[in-house]
Amino acid sequence: MKTLVTTIAVLLSAALIITLVKLKRVEPEHRTTISISGAWALYPLTGKLGEAYHKLHPEVKFDISAGGAGKGMTDALSGAVDIGMVSREVDKLEKAQGAYPIFIAKDAAFPVVNTKNPALPLLLAKGISIETFNGIFIAKRVITWKQAVGGPADPIHLYTRSDACGAASAWAAALGKYKQEDLQGIGVYGDPGLLEAVRRDPLGLGYNNLSFVFTGDQVTDGVVIVPIDANKNGKVDPGENIDNRDKAYQQILEDRYPAARREYFVTKGKPKDAALDFIKFALSDEGTRILNEVGGYVPLTDAEKATEVKRL
Amino acid sequence: MRIRRQMTDWIARHAMLAATLFSGLLVAAIALALVLRARPLFAAKGIGQVLFGNTWSPSTGLFGLKPFIIGTLWVTGLATVLAVPVCLLAAIFLAEYAGPKLRGIVKPLIDLLAGIPSVIYGVWGVLVVVPFIADVLGPYAAAHWQRIPLLGTEFTTGFSILAGAVVLAVMIAPVIIAIADEVLRAVPREVREVSYSLGATRMETILRVVVRRALPGLVAAVVLGISRALGETMAVLMVVGNVPIAPESVFDPAYPLPALIANNYGEMMSIPLYDSALLGAALLLLAIVLAFNLLARFTLAYAIRRVAQ
Repeated sequence: MKTLVTTIAVLLSAALIITLVKLKRVEPEHRTTISISGAWALYPLTGKLGEAYHKLHPEVKFDISAGGAGKGMTDALSGAVDIGMVSREVDKLEKAQGAYPIFIAKDAAFPVVNTKNPALPLLLAKGISIETFNGIFIAKRVITWKQAVGGPADPIHLYTRSDACGAASAWAAALGKYKQEDLQGIGVYGDPGLLEAVRRDPLGLGYNNLSFVFTGDQVTDGVVIVPIDANKNGKVDPGENIDNRDKAYQQILEDRYPAARREYFVTKGKPKDAALDFIKFALSDEGTRILNEVGGYVPLTDAEKATEVKRL
Repeated sequence: MRIRRQMTDWIARHAMLAATLFSGLLVAAIALALVLRARPLFAAKGIGQVLFGNTWSPSTGLFGLKPFIIGTLWVTGLATVLAVPVCLLAAIFLAEYAGPKLRGIVKPLIDLLAGIPSVIYGVWGVLVVVPFIADVLGPYAAAHWQRIPLLGTEFTTGFSILAGAVVLAVMIAPVIIAIADEVLRAVPREVREVSYSLGATRMETILRVVVRRALPGLVAAVVLGISRALGETMAVLMVVGNVPIAPESVFDPAYPLPALIANNYGEMMSIPLYDSALLGAALLLLAIVLAFNLLARFTLAYAIRRVAQ
């Protein structure tokens, strides 16, 4: 009994001493901490931006955690963090509570099919219009590949994301004024899960984020991006074709891609102090360089960046 | 000296009482928190519409949880049907037939199953169970079982109630086997010997004497397994298809309550009524598990009385 008490006492005092020493050592260096939480989609980018910013301003420390866009939003609104990372559009109910979104990066959802899809040549020649995609994903009016593009009468095996996410919101929004919950299809968890489901099913149709649909510069093995027939002329024009990362990047950058989405830093009210300076850094040329280096995002155009900076 | 001893005793007794009360009150505290957070939804929509509504469409203000309740019951029910017979037979074998050597190998393996994180079961489900159902079992069912209710299908992607139930069954098996095995081994040797001395065979002894005597414990083992199945989240949501429509066949997808919460909570907790609906779903799940446990307790009490007679 006595030894036990002694051991506990020793451990406790050791812990106390270590904490005190650590506090003492850390305090003079870091006067400011910027705390950030939120979407997984923005976590890699924010981490890299934080690292670079810390190098320029060693007195600023970062505390970044990921737990979903809603968590970031809740934390930012309650004041638990300085900045929330939100990978979807900000809801009007959230804006009503004081959420101030700053547009920080772009991503997009790309419809994908299996490389062995029986209608593949037709798909690549004609593409699918937004109206038809709506019939497939929302209205359930179009249920065979024949109805979608002509060709074989095989059914379309539709897949969607089960977890609430930016890709699904963007894809639903591209098809009209819809939300993720309106998308039909088997719900598969996560970007990789959805990709795998389509990769295994020759009749499958799903959608994926930039960072999963491309591996390096090329489309990931086993899937093909379905061109969206944006101008509804019944054929895939050069500007609608996406068969490598560069074309996707260009279309999103120039705002020509219909299922692009915006990702945000959210603060409660306008950002101020350290958070403000960090967000300016994220919107600077250096911030854009880091964004391109991390990959999986498309930067804002210079005009868009200027607009955002003006709003700060 | 005497006072000091009494003091020690008093302190020890009350410290333990406090610990007991604390753990007991936790359930109440959790339930209370959920009720408070879920109340805005029930106040706005009415309990009836939430519990019995068929449509889940938060953006249009429809928060029907019925498809999720049905999904939970389907997946858990099928998992129980798949797991319980196999587990009980395995437990009887381990406790009554297996020699020390075989037991020494098999028992640790089964216990090991209990320690595997659920996401690994989920990955296994996606990589093995789902493709098996999509490529082998589904097409077979489409060809031969078309007219059998609950088993008929035209086509399945593999993401289905059956996939969820298989993964769940494997997950709850070690729990059921381990407890059932302990319960059976706790039956005194004399009981068996009396039975043998009356000329009963081994089979008769096991079924009529050992299992009968161990029945309350065996029920408890099954109940614990099912309780775990009701709340299991990650592994199930990865394979079950997550479509909020009441299923008609085991090859259809379903959407259990825990999956609804896990899929949406992190993203949607900042939208007031959505948050409230997800916590309402959590409250409902808690209520289902509690109700099930109560039911099981009554069954158990009944079983004990019958055995005693």
